[in-house]
Amino acid sequence: MKYKVKNIVKYYGQLKVLDNISIDFAENKTTCILGPSGCGKTTLLNIIAGIIKPDSGKLVGFDGEDISFVFQEDRLIPWKNVRDNINFVLKGKMDRRKIESTVDKYLELVDLQEYKYYYPKNLSGGMRQRISILRAFAYPSNFLIMDEPFKSLDINNKQIVIQFFKKLRIAEKRTCILVTHDIEEALDLGDKIVIFSGRPARVKKVMENTYNLDRDEDNKRKLKMLIEKELIGG
Amino acid sequence: MKKYILKDRSLSIISNILIILVWVLLSRLVDNEVIFPSIRSTITSLVEIIKDPKFFDMIRYSILRSLVGYLFSLFLAILMGILSSISKFLLNLMAPIINFLRSVPTMAIIILALIWLNNEYAPIFIGFIMVFPILYETVLESIINVDKNIIDMANLYRVDKIYIIKDIYIPNILINLSLVSTSTLGINLKMVIAGEALSQPKYGIGSHLQLQKIYLNTPGVFAWIIIILSISKIFEHILKGVECMLDIDKWK
Repeated sequence: MKYKVKNIVKYYGQLKVLDNISIDFAENKTTCILGPSGCGKTTLLNIIAGIIKPDSGKLVGFDGEDISFVFQEDRLIPWKNVRDNINFVLKGKMDRRKIESTVDKYLELVDLQEYKYYYPKNLSGGMRQRISILRAFAYPSNFLIMDEPFKSLDINNKQIVIQFFKKLRIAEKRTCILVTHDIEEALDLGDKIVIFSGRPARVKKVMENTYNLDRDEDNKRKLKMLIEKELIGG
Repeated sequence: MKKYILKDRSLSIISNILIILVWVLLSRLVDNEVIFPSIRSTITSLVEIIKDPKFFDMIRYSILRSLVGYLFSLFLAILMGILSSISKFLLNLMAPIINFLRSVPTMAIIILALIWLNNEYAPIFIGFIMVFPILYETVLESIINVDKNIIDMANLYRVDKIYIIKDIYIPNILINLSLVSTSTLGINLKMVIAGEALSQPKYGIGSHLQLQKIYLNTPGVFAWIIIILSISKIFEHILKGVECMLDIDKWK
């Protein structure tokens, strides 16, 4: 395994948030971290991103690695159009001509060329989140971190954005971490599902998402029941 | 959108007609040119003022004083705003100064300016003192209140600091400055004219306004008000033009 976290422990003051977290992230696969809201999933992402330091434990494979991010909010710059929002994260990573061709390539890949000069204000919430995902894929990285990216979307937009993510995922190889509290989302997108307990977060169960391979609804129901049981178990 | 603009314009025309009607009514009611002049006498005074060979010099000097003061305030506000956002020491040093400038009575500032400076520069200083705190706080707040989520995003994507400054901080400062530019430019012009009225420089709208007061030429005062309002309007249009050129509002 190229990327892993080993025995991560994190305290906020006296409060233990993460308790001995170890996860292997399979290369070019999506690992879903599933757990109750506020259990410390985002804290783990912040540790992986290097924003905060763990109290103990270590990260393997992330050192110096460029990482793409998709957040709960789109985090687009309001005064920049779609093209310039994507350009912004590519500056300094490649020359101007390469930036232009990269932006065009990704907009074409998902048939969004017509929105190239749109400003975020003129886009719907779902479309803005799609641009945020596109920005993450256009950024030259091997690793993608997604922190509840579908949380603020309504049910229709959520489905559209999930399909959009799947399309990009097929076209582009990335090692992804998707943090969510939604079982359906985890089953729909994850290759592997890591279930966290409530605070302090511990890894309760790691399971391969076989539904992702067979797309069998019965299998999905069984897996869902199993996950629910784990989550309700506290 | 077009409908709303048309509605706004028609309301503005109605409002202007209403002002003129009230003016006509009041001047007829008062029937005293010294207390409340009629439109006719005001227009006569306006023509006389414009015909005065010194008219353009008066306008030119007042606008020049106003612009010099404003640009100096803007430059200093941007510089101090940026430095204060970086240095806690400077931020704390500036806080009582800005508070003092904000709360000290305008008349006290004018009197001090008249004592300290010669009559050509006092109006510039008065305009500067009034506008600088507003511009400084606008710059400072634009930097401090920049969307932290966007800054975090930029840092996580390892965007160079230079691009973060160029593409996030500077546009944010410009956008917020554009929101206060019309009002601050207006305040600055008014304060410069007030300063001129008291310091009496050789050329200046304020100096001439004071003359009208001495001669109890109220139509002349009204005429100057019309001229000052027109200058403010021209300033406003020029600013809008600059904002259009810089594409500041395109994203809104």
